[in-house]
Amino acid sequence: MSDLMQTFPVKRIIEHGPGVKSFYFDRMTDAVAGQFVNVWLPGIDEKPYSVSALGEDWLEISVKAYGVFSGAMMKLKVGDLVGIRGPFGKGFTFRDNALIIGGGIGIAPLRILARELSERNFRFVSLLGAATAHEVIFVDDFRRRSSNCYVTTDDGTLGKKGLVTDDLLEIIKKEKIEFVYAAGPEIMFVKIKELIDPLGIAYEFCLERYMKCGIGICGQCTLDGSGIRLCVEGPVLNQDDLKAVTELGLPHRDASGRRV
Amino acid sequence: MSQVKFLNLKLKNPTVLASGILGLTASSMKRVVEFGGAGAVTTKSFNIEWRKGHKNPSILPFRHGLLNAVGLSNPGIDEMVKEIRLFRRQCDAPIFASVFGRTIDEFAEVTRLTVEAEPDLIEVNISCPNVHSEFGQPFGNSCEDTAKITEIVKKNAGDIPVSIKLGPHGPGVARLARVCEEHGADAITAINTVGPGMLIDIEVRKPILSNKTGGVSGPAILPIAVKSVYEVYKAVNIPIIGTGGVTVPEDAVQMILAGATLIGIGTGVYYQGIDVFKKIEQGVREYLDRHGFKSIEEIRGGAHE
Repeated sequence: MSDLMQTFPVKRIIEHGPGVKSFYFDRMTDAVAGQFVNVWLPGIDEKPYSVSALGEDWLEISVKAYGVFSGAMMKLKVGDLVGIRGPFGKGFTFRDNALIIGGGIGIAPLRILARELSERNFRFVSLLGAATAHEVIFVDDFRRRSSNCYVTTDDGTLGKKGLVTDDLLEIIKKEKIEFVYAAGPEIMFVKIKELIDPLGIAYEFCLERYMKCGIGICGQCTLDGSGIRLCVEGPVLNQDDLKAVTELGLPHRDASGRRV
Repeated sequence: MSQVKFLNLKLKNPTVLASGILGLTASSMKRVVEFGGAGAVTTKSFNIEWRKGHKNPSILPFRHGLLNAVGLSNPGIDEMVKEIRLFRRQCDAPIFASVFGRTIDEFAEVTRLTVEAEPDLIEVNISCPNVHSEFGQPFGNSCEDTAKITEIVKKNAGDIPVSIKLGPHGPGVARLARVCEEHGADAITAINTVGPGMLIDIEVRKPILSNKTGGVSGPAILPIAVKSVYEVYKAVNIPIIGTGGVTVPEDAVQMILAGATLIGIGTGVYYQGIDVFKKIEQGVREYLDRHGFKSIEEIRGGAHE
């Protein structure tokens, strides 16, 4: 693959439920779990999305309708041309006896991580949460690959009613967890960090910021305190990277660079 | 040996982060100095009110450089003043504030307010080639507007030196540089991105940039930048920040031989990483050693007769 923009037709679409879809393209690139591609909808905009799975000959990205761009993604049909460049960034490292925590559409980059861990015969436990049942995407895949899979939903339509962080410490203890992966809303990272920092468990979080270039030059996604460029040195950061970051949990910078 | 004097400033080396690259926040610019090795940094261009800029795609690599139409997005002067102050508290390297205005009056106001942050230099961006749809032709395409802006910025800049950033277009960079010097500019930054240019996706059959056109940077424009610096050096006596396509030390040496005092590096970060400044500084030093020169001054403008 390359940094240059190229367009590819949508090959297949899965609808998980209202406003949540996965899109399939011919596999144009390798990617490791946590890496992302910039997706261009001609005439609309370009946004970064995690690669959520790779097959022999296909690449998958998974999207939740949220704003203008993701709303336009929902209207894509098979055969429509979509620009893709990447993959960009640094992905997850692979660890044994890990807990995978996914919040909402943050489950997407963890799906490819779960595959990579199981291919290496690493033991891991999944803890997935979302607003409602259909947003816990590919839950069967996680159940099959994990030694145990815990699910929470805000409305109680799947698994336990509540948040992924409610029983986090109990699960870590019971499952003898040695490493934590997480992807999801930033408030979830803040809470996880607060809970597990005292335990001294190492972790990797897959963060999000507004991005323009994807190639480490525009400075739009640099994190205060550290100067880390999330598109190059991230989007996956570990506990050491995060020590210098002073903006975890703050409102993100928008296209102008203001925090809003 | 790499130390260089520029106006009233002493830089530990002649490399400068060019405007528009990694210059949005103090943390980012600090990393460019501490890890990257830059001798000085330039902020992203800003004006009074925040701007979202153009939609994405706004920055696109192609085989010989980058095409960008970021559209002068910035968080507005209040935020940028805060970031410049924060940088100055945390970092010893000089910081250049890159300013622009939609009108000539706005150049005066943005300069007046920027002075409060006490940057080491105010760089005046009158040559951005990707905002035609909103602003019309850049001010830097007209000698008359260039004269007016230089004068008004100088009047409002107090003791802070002013460099005017020129493009290779319009009436010619040498003529424009002379106008700047005559109206009080302390330095010239040459050049801005070139163009505008365009890239088309051949499957969708439409321009890829949301703005359709954008400025070209990177290796593709090095010869245009070297020639511009060469001409400006002949035309004026004020120092030059030579910018455009510098990716490897040999490019920087060319710029110095053409007459540059400082070397702006932006797109080079894409090709060589943040430590491109360190790499170029070392390479220039090795060049001087190899040829028995003791300082950069000995070769500055050396390509002229």
